[in-house]
Amino acid sequence: MRKFLFFLFKIIIILFLIAVVLDIIYTKAYLHSAKRGKIGYVYNSEPKTIDVVILGSSRAYYHLVTPMFSHKGLKAFNYGMEGAKLFESDLILKLLVAKKNKIKNVILEVDLSLSSELDYSEANALKFMPYFWDSEIIRNQFKNSPDYNIFYFFPFYRFMRYETKLGFREMLSNALDKKGNDLNDGGYLGLFHSNHELKSDLSNSKPRRNKYYEEIKTLCKKNNINLIAIMTPMCENTKGLEYFKQVKKIYPEIYNYENVVTEDKYFSSCSHLTDEGAKIFTARILKDFFL
Amino acid sequence: MFFNSLAFAVFLPLVFFLYWFVFNKTKNTQNALLIIASYYFYSCWDWRFLFLLVFSTFLDYYTGIRIEKSTNEKWRKFWFWLSVSVNLGFLGIFKYYNFFSESFAQMLTTVGFKASPILLNVVLPVGISFYTFHGLSYVIDIYFKRIKAEYNFVDYSLFVSYFPLLVAGPIERATHLLPEVKVKRTFNFQQAKEGICQIVWGLVKKVVIADTCATYANAIFDNYASMNSFSLILGGVYFAFQIYGDFSGYSDMALGMSKLFGLELLRNFNYPYFSRDIAEFWRRWHISLSSWFRDYLYIPLGGSKGGLWMKIRNTFIIFIVSGFWHGANWTYIVWGFINALYFLPLLLSNSNRNNMDSITLKWNFDSVRVLFSILTTFLLTCVAWVFFRAKTITDAVLYLKKIFTNGEFSAQYLDNERYNYELLLMIGLFVLVEWNNKTRVEPISGKRSMLKMALAIMAIIAFGTYSDYKEFIYFQF
Repeated sequence: MRKFLFFLFKIIIILFLIAVVLDIIYTKAYLHSAKRGKIGYVYNSEPKTIDVVILGSSRAYYHLVTPMFSHKGLKAFNYGMEGAKLFESDLILKLLVAKKNKIKNVILEVDLSLSSELDYSEANALKFMPYFWDSEIIRNQFKNSPDYNIFYFFPFYRFMRYETKLGFREMLSNALDKKGNDLNDGGYLGLFHSNHELKSDLSNSKPRRNKYYEEIKTLCKKNNINLIAIMTPMCENTKGLEYFKQVKKIYPEIYNYENVVTEDKYFSSCSHLTDEGAKIFTARILKDFFL
Repeated sequence: MFFNSLAFAVFLPLVFFLYWFVFNKTKNTQNALLIIASYYFYSCWDWRFLFLLVFSTFLDYYTGIRIEKSTNEKWRKFWFWLSVSVNLGFLGIFKYYNFFSESFAQMLTTVGFKASPILLNVVLPVGISFYTFHGLSYVIDIYFKRIKAEYNFVDYSLFVSYFPLLVAGPIERATHLLPEVKVKRTFNFQQAKEGICQIVWGLVKKVVIADTCATYANAIFDNYASMNSFSLILGGVYFAFQIYGDFSGYSDMALGMSKLFGLELLRNFNYPYFSRDIAEFWRRWHISLSSWFRDYLYIPLGGSKGGLWMKIRNTFIIFIVSGFWHGANWTYIVWGFINALYFLPLLLSNSNRNNMDSITLKWNFDSVRVLFSILTTFLLTCVAWVFFRAKTITDAVLYLKKIFTNGEFSAQYLDNERYNYELLLMIGLFVLVEWNNKTRVEPISGKRSMLKMALAIMAIIAFGTYSDYKEFIYFQF
């Protein structure tokens, strides 16, 4: 039996060593490329001066047309991500500041995420995981996550857990510095399909004060960044539009652009503008803040 | 609690520790612990069905004794048929009732009567097909006086409900497992080491091969209407490796963990995709089920003794019943029927027992012929698997039809965000490893076992599929 227990011990040691080695290899590969996705771009790019950083969910990602900022001579990048909550926006901004980027303005889409029950979306949170061991900022941000300890104490676990997005295939693409699609058009993605049966219901959504929004405000103030917090358009047939008024009550500094674009022809879905709608909306933002 | 879950990774070492360090005094304490562990393992699925398992165990235990003790033939028959009918009755109610009810209602509708089926809202108790067959084989063997009835209820219970084989086999025989559980087991390092190697190899098959293939096979089968010929062919191949990796991986883990407890289970797979004809395939695939049907259905029906036509009739019967055993769906029945059809030329030419020897390849024409036979057999099984995997027979037929009518053989981006061909390299490597080790139970043990173990562990953690978690296919049967 002693011999067998020693055999098992050897296997456990092998398992641990392989996990450590793979963790190091994968982390190195992810630290190698700034071209694959938005988080890699934040994490691995050289520090630069950015006139406008756009943060938020898909309602920032699909709504703020980065090339229009560039045409005005502004260096801008849209870091919006589908499903992102303020947790992710806060973390991106923290990383950008920590990486010594000089940021002049932040446009933060902050509307529907104020009513979210979840701190963060797992689909976006996983994108930070390759840098978990390399970045104290990321570790601190996930400190309250129920998986924190397992991510912290089990090497390579995070790559196994999210293997479809962070596994061998993606690691190899990072190692080979293959370009991803997320960075095209300054991080903006236009929607071209217009949907004509639009409706949405926000009557059950209740906005609340949000810890991460407060952190973003503090961070901007501390680093002399002009924060422009906005609410973006919804389609006409939306029940419970008073939600946006409630947001305004909690946070009067948030600009309400909910009704800047209203016609259904400019919407791909009730909460997402088409490319054409996004251009109208971006033009208004540029006019109001950057003329 | 799946074999590849974290909960099981705690459960197994705990049982192992208790088995060898606390309950190791006598075979009774060892067996008692394994039964408690097995019942706990089973109740993790659904504790309510534990009563069914205990009842089924008690029924076969009691009827077995009654059959042996009865001096009157009428009573022997009575106890025998009581056990058979209750066992099959449970299987019929839980597994097949809704199918028959729906099919009957559909048949009435076709001939002009309006009928709506009365359906039972019950879930299928996990492993029912397996433990029912354990019990049936035991009672049949006693009835035909091949074995003596077991009077120790604990030993008999362990034979039926031993957790490694409880939910997906292999289907054990009383003649094989009961003698093993009737003696105290002593720890054997070599056996336990081989067990660990087999568990690790089973995990490779499950999480690296089966679960990865599943993401591709699902993306192709679920969207077959928009797939080109190349994707559809690959879909069949991926599913073939999915089901093989899934089921043989499970069996390897079951056999491996049994070795940790000093028990040897029946081998269930013997590299079936290296078969040279379909008869050989069925001697190598799900061996415990094939041999069960051979011994308890094919031979009692007359086997091959009654001439060619009886042989053909019996072959069709066992394949169709075998298909139906897998699930209450016409697709499984057609799958069984197709396999019987594949058998037909072998029966007619009396060549179903031609390929009994081991396979060796050399640089000669004969090896080319062998290789061609292997590929042809694999291709035939893939066609049959399409029926096994498809939701309906119509889907399966359209799937196959599209392979021939689409005519496009190009890379296609799938729903799982991968190209259709991306898995071929991994499958090729897996086939190569299996081919080089086809004379052994698994490829890890033996020379340089630690190096091979390290590679296997690396494959499991670096190439396994975890986020898209899959349960074992055969659990549903």
